[in-house]
Amino acid sequence: VDTFIQLTLNGLTLGSVYALIALGYSLVYGILKLLNFAQGEVYMMGAFMGYFTLVALGGAASPAVPVAFVLVLMFLVAGLSAGVLGVAIERFAYRPLRDAPRIAPLITALGMSFFLQSTALLLFSADVRNMDTSELISPSTGIHVGPLDISLVRILVIVSAAFLMVALARFVAQTKLGKAMRAVAYDREAAEMMGIDVDRTIVAAFFIGSVLAGAAGVMVGLVFDRVWHLMGFTAGLKAFTAAVVGGIGNIPGAMLGGLLIGLAEAFTAGYISTTFQNLIVFGLLIVVMLVRPTGLLGSPAIEKV
Amino acid sequence: LTGQQVDPNDVEYDGNQYLEQHHKGGQRMKRAIALALVAAIAAMLAATAVARPTAATGSDAQQAVSCKSTLKIAIVTPLTGGAGFLGNAQLSWAKYAVKTLQSKYGLKVRLVTGDTPVEQGPAPAQALAQKYVADKAVVAVIGPATSGAVAATSKTYFQAGLAHISPSATRTSLTQGAAKEATSAFFRVVGGDYIQGPSDAKYMVDKLKVTKVVIIDFQEPYSVGLADAAQAYLKSKNVTVIRESTSVKTTDFSSLVTKVPNDAQIVFFPTQQPEDAQTFGQQLLEQGKRAKVFGGDGSNSPEKFKLAGSYVSNFAPDISGFAYNKALIDGWKKDNPKSSLESFGPPTYGAVQVAMNAIKRACTAGNGQIKDRRDVVRNVKRIVVKNWILGGDFRFSTKTNDPLNARFYIFQIQSNGSYKLVG
Repeated sequence: VDTFIQLTLNGLTLGSVYALIALGYSLVYGILKLLNFAQGEVYMMGAFMGYFTLVALGGAASPAVPVAFVLVLMFLVAGLSAGVLGVAIERFAYRPLRDAPRIAPLITALGMSFFLQSTALLLFSADVRNMDTSELISPSTGIHVGPLDISLVRILVIVSAAFLMVALARFVAQTKLGKAMRAVAYDREAAEMMGIDVDRTIVAAFFIGSVLAGAAGVMVGLVFDRVWHLMGFTAGLKAFTAAVVGGIGNIPGAMLGGLLIGLAEAFTAGYISTTFQNLIVFGLLIVVMLVRPTGLLGSPAIEKV
Repeated sequence: LTGQQVDPNDVEYDGNQYLEQHHKGGQRMKRAIALALVAAIAAMLAATAVARPTAATGSDAQQAVSCKSTLKIAIVTPLTGGAGFLGNAQLSWAKYAVKTLQSKYGLKVRLVTGDTPVEQGPAPAQALAQKYVADKAVVAVIGPATSGAVAATSKTYFQAGLAHISPSATRTSLTQGAAKEATSAFFRVVGGDYIQGPSDAKYMVDKLKVTKVVIIDFQEPYSVGLADAAQAYLKSKNVTVIRESTSVKTTDFSSLVTKVPNDAQIVFFPTQQPEDAQTFGQQLLEQGKRAKVFGGDGSNSPEKFKLAGSYVSNFAPDISGFAYNKALIDGWKKDNPKSSLESFGPPTYGAVQVAMNAIKRACTAGNGQIKDRRDVVRNVKRIVVKNWILGGDFRFSTKTNDPLNARFYIFQIQSNGSYKLVG
């Protein structure tokens, strides 16, 4: 039971990160029917921005301002710069292709992903950067009660991810812009005729999705202590899987998918072997696709005539 | 074989113009095919010549190189990428050695550098080997730094008779066992993992009094070799060993950490990526485990692995512990004011010392010239260095091209991040 609880916590941490990245995939797919493969790289750039913010504030060992303030600033800078990057990607890479055949933006998205990876390599070199989180927040601080051992950093990650997800769900359900997003996702032309600014709505979707990815980047940097230019590839792929498992285009689906993938990885590593982690994760994808082709919470596509 | 060979089908044709033109077209086609064939064969021959340098040069007596001319020593090490810290430390010591030892041996030596980023696999090392083999002024190679690069290039160097002396390749199977991966032209000035694994395990048993140890390997030869060696020793001493294995790409170790029993004292973690050791150690603390991380030479990086209480082994001690090294260290520090003394660099000084000593002997035997680079190889094994930079006297084992009486040193990381020699 002890192991089970601990593995669940490990899985929740990883799952929250996947869920945040997956939300970006789902938001954009829901509105544009576009798989934005650059999402993983936006997350990587966010992680770098968080790292550089930390360094600018004096580094983990001797921060110039209180730790809580350092963390808030890291999330703010990373989230905002990732958001701006997402908007720029939409403006320059995807908007010119909005009416092109669907294969064109798909290939562009792959190209964008490699472009960002190489840009990071050029700008930041291939060095692995360590956030040295242990010097910022001691890894042994946290809750240690009975079988439960959870560090403060992990609590922070799980809580802030949950907060962001709830905020997003409420935003989409209740605000005007959120409603506009749903309307554009349902029928872009009709929404436009009703006076919704489609461009603005799309930009908002990219911005929000990228902010979440940037925040996820900082979380991973904090928990796993490292940031490097290739970190977006696997995480992006896993998050994409999460989005598809949950039902792509569906927001609660992306959250559910992310948590499922995270838990599946943790339990595989704990009970079977880390060697088979990816096998189980992608096996899960295949099973879900066979049983429920639209994903767990996805609704069947409506043929519009 | 040339493209102008007479084609038996190439005869006058006495037909109408159409046929004639058609035939000329056919002739042109045949000529083109013949030319293409010739070109292809030539390209294949050239490729074989490059792939096997001795095929082209083997029978020709090698041009003698005068010892009065500027000789070249090449250093092959990762200068960029994840292991760049290692290569740059090695390069600084190689430069210092060449600068200070030239006059001692009466040689003019120029150091040429080759970069082998570990992320790119053996390809850069292979390309560099071809280059140095072809350059007759290169009389010795320092490196390759990593065991993988040695295994990939040793044959090429051997065929050209070029001595390659590594200051850091520790894989056991390079010099020992039935299927040696390196040739007799390969030497190393530090001990191999056949010493590291058991000596780490011995330290755990004798000094740390362990009863339960978790050993993790990363499914690649370096860590599997070290893990196996340590495991065998621990089991022989009746220590309970729990063996785990994970991919070299793993970054989240938390589920592996969950499996570490609360009463295990040590997790032997022979990674080649020091940041992995750091993450693993942090996750042990997060989950309230009392086991300490014990890394091999691959995790020896005071910049990346600095979790207090952890252990690291390495093939070199803190060289400032030997009084006779003082002038040497002062001189090196003067040339490298921003660098701090660590473990990976100093053996490179020793490797250059061995190489230059062997070159000098080859020159003396050849009356002022090196007739064949093999003369350098033959002399390497005879070198004895008193007041060796890593302590004591240096000489090679008579059985293998490893140093005699090599040992590993064990450090414990202190709360200020420094590495303290403990065994």
